[in-house]
Amino acid sequence: MSLTIIEKEVLVKASQETAFKVFTEKMDSWWPKTHHVGKTPMLESILEPKKNGRWYGRHEDGSESNVGYVLEWEPYGRLVLAWQVDGNFHYDPDLITEVEVQFIPEGRGSTRVKLGHKDLQKLMGGSKVIADMDGGWGMIMNLYKNVTDAA
Amino acid sequence: MSAQPARKHDIALNALGDPTRRAIFEKLGRGALSVAHIADGMSVTRPAVSQHLKVLREAKLISMHQIGTRSYYRIDPEGLTAIRDYLDRFWDEALGNFKQLAEATEKASAANSKKLKRKK
Repeated sequence: MSLTIIEKEVLVKASQETAFKVFTEKMDSWWPKTHHVGKTPMLESILEPKKNGRWYGRHEDGSESNVGYVLEWEPYGRLVLAWQVDGNFHYDPDLITEVEVQFIPEGRGSTRVKLGHKDLQKLMGGSKVIADMDGGWGMIMNLYKNVTDAA
Repeated sequence: MSAQPARKHDIALNALGDPTRRAIFEKLGRGALSVAHIADGMSVTRPAVSQHLKVLREAKLISMHQIGTRSYYRIDPEGLTAIRDYLDRFWDEALGNFKQLAEATEKASAANSKKLKRKK
């Protein structure tokens, strides 16, 4: 298991186009309600459908909160988003982690959706704690390896 | 593994929310240190440093090792993996919701196009 990347895969009984559209246009319907950026519950989550498009939420109190932006927009096959929310679900403009989503047709109207959330070391500690450390992430990985080897 | 990983994640994040504790944590990123070494160059008293170390230890962000009569502190990866696990569960839930919605949408549009065909 890698500590710095999360990889997920889900097989969906839907066409590539439907899968891509639901992912990008109906984000507020699948985004877990328990996790929202900003102080009040989110009414909708908006992803502007273009490269560098904004990714943000609109809230009950009328405010907006940034989540990140679109790094790559390749309908209906691939999407790369910049996730700029730290481990506390607070927006941090200096933080960029990548969420890459691939929509792979599997035949018989099914689509395999692969999601990778990379550079998680940047999220840990709520900010850039680890990235700024002298030894950096490699040092933590070594520590982790020592611990698992010992176990 | 703790029975309450979600709480563990909160504890780890809250522990790092304090600037002094973050400074201590960063210092330990360079290797294991004794309390005296950690307190060296910091503007807080040694008892205060000990108190911060206690909080970091409870959050499993650092661990203590005894060498002779001296205690050394170092980074413990367990607190960090808690944060990763938290996000891992977030994506599990998100993709589970997404799958349901995408399949329902596909079914609905298939039913609609059948209806249209019948009308023709």
